[in-house]
Amino acid sequence: MAKTEDHNGKEIFPQCRKISIPFSVNVRFPGDLDYIPAVRKFVSELLQVSDFSPKFAYRSEIIVDEICNNAVTYGCQTDDAHIELLNKIFDDRIEFTIRDQGGTNNNLRRLKTAVKSGSSGKKKQTKPGLGLEIVRMLSERLDVVIDEKNLTSVHVVRKREDERGDVTLSN
Amino acid sequence: MTTQRMEIDIQEVPESEGVVILHFSGDLTSECVRRINECFSAVGKKGKTYAIANMAEVTLISSAVLGEFMGCRKRLIEEHGDLVFCGLDLEMRTKLHLMGATKIFRIYTDIRTALNSYKWEIERQPEKFHVSFPPYLKIVPPLRQLVSRIARQKGYGNRDSFRIETIVDEICNNAVEHGRPKADDLIDLTVIIDPDKIEIDVRNMSDPDKVASLTAMLLPEKTDTDKPKPDVKRGRGLSLIKMLSDGMSVECTDRGTSVRVKKVREE
Repeated sequence: MAKTEDHNGKEIFPQCRKISIPFSVNVRFPGDLDYIPAVRKFVSELLQVSDFSPKFAYRSEIIVDEICNNAVTYGCQTDDAHIELLNKIFDDRIEFTIRDQGGTNNNLRRLKTAVKSGSSGKKKQTKPGLGLEIVRMLSERLDVVIDEKNLTSVHVVRKREDERGDVTLSN
Repeated sequence: MTTQRMEIDIQEVPESEGVVILHFSGDLTSECVRRINECFSAVGKKGKTYAIANMAEVTLISSAVLGEFMGCRKRLIEEHGDLVFCGLDLEMRTKLHLMGATKIFRIYTDIRTALNSYKWEIERQPEKFHVSFPPYLKIVPPLRQLVSRIARQKGYGNRDSFRIETIVDEICNNAVEHGRPKADDLIDLTVIIDPDKIEIDVRNMSDPDKVASLTAMLLPEKTDTDKPKPDVKRGRGLSLIKMLSDGMSVECTDRGTSVRVKKVREE
């Protein structure tokens, strides 16, 4: 493989140079809450090495935390349940897809209601909204797909903040 | 003020024979002590030594009941088991904390987490996680941190975690440097962790130009002349991995390279 030089004239490998965007990093971890702090930090650091700001990375971390917590708490039923987190990083945005094996019918109904009530602008909820309110506030798009086998897939798109102004958390 | 009658529902866990889940509901007042005692005696007679008390529906825990729970826990511990709590709301958890009970009982957020903990600690079941990433060196530091954080979260000490981190760093760096450079040629990192050891497996698509040199480098019986010389700055990665780990194997084929490292927990 051809080597190149850095600004000091030292030889470096092409892989050392800037990350070529877009790229994907997939993480698959057991349905256990123990893993979530490490996974959210990983996503944050991944974004920072991809030249996103620490603020953007931190807010993305919150999204990952919320969705993965829901996936573990409500979407893992069997012993070998796993969560899949797909991170697709673009120049101007990150797209997360979080997949779990799906919860009980009751939990799925609750998830659908939480997604629906937010998108229709309804504010009142009798049960907690699974943290989706903050996810919606921090992201550009939030979609949930539940297939016929109850496999649940949450897709979140978050764009660079400096291109669209700050997100206000007060409202 | 009327009290809510206590109910106990006993649920067995088919996949973990020694475990029983006790669903408590209502007010656990001092009048309930006898029933709780009888319940734990019945559980003990069935050979269950690990009890998970689900307190999600509990509205009150009196100090007498807490004392009874401590006695029951002691009996279970004598049988190499334990009594743990789960499903407590914030208010109940705060009360237990104020009573000092959180120093004695382990408290989990939900039944599943408590069961996972049992499988990890008592059954010593391994857990597996996997990351696939493109061959960029910049991604390696977040990756090494990820594995190290998980090891620490799972109870590994700082020294072990740091050594694991170093191993991951070395293997992943090698995979990036010696593998195909295209973003589509993802590198697979698989980690299998249990309370006694961690196994790290890194697979990458080999760069055809480098397979021969890589195979030669990986030969187990290197002579002294092949070892890196003191003035050479690179090439110590594999020696370092061998020094820090308890087993290493490399499979180098046309399809790709797989490096597998085993590290036994020391502390």
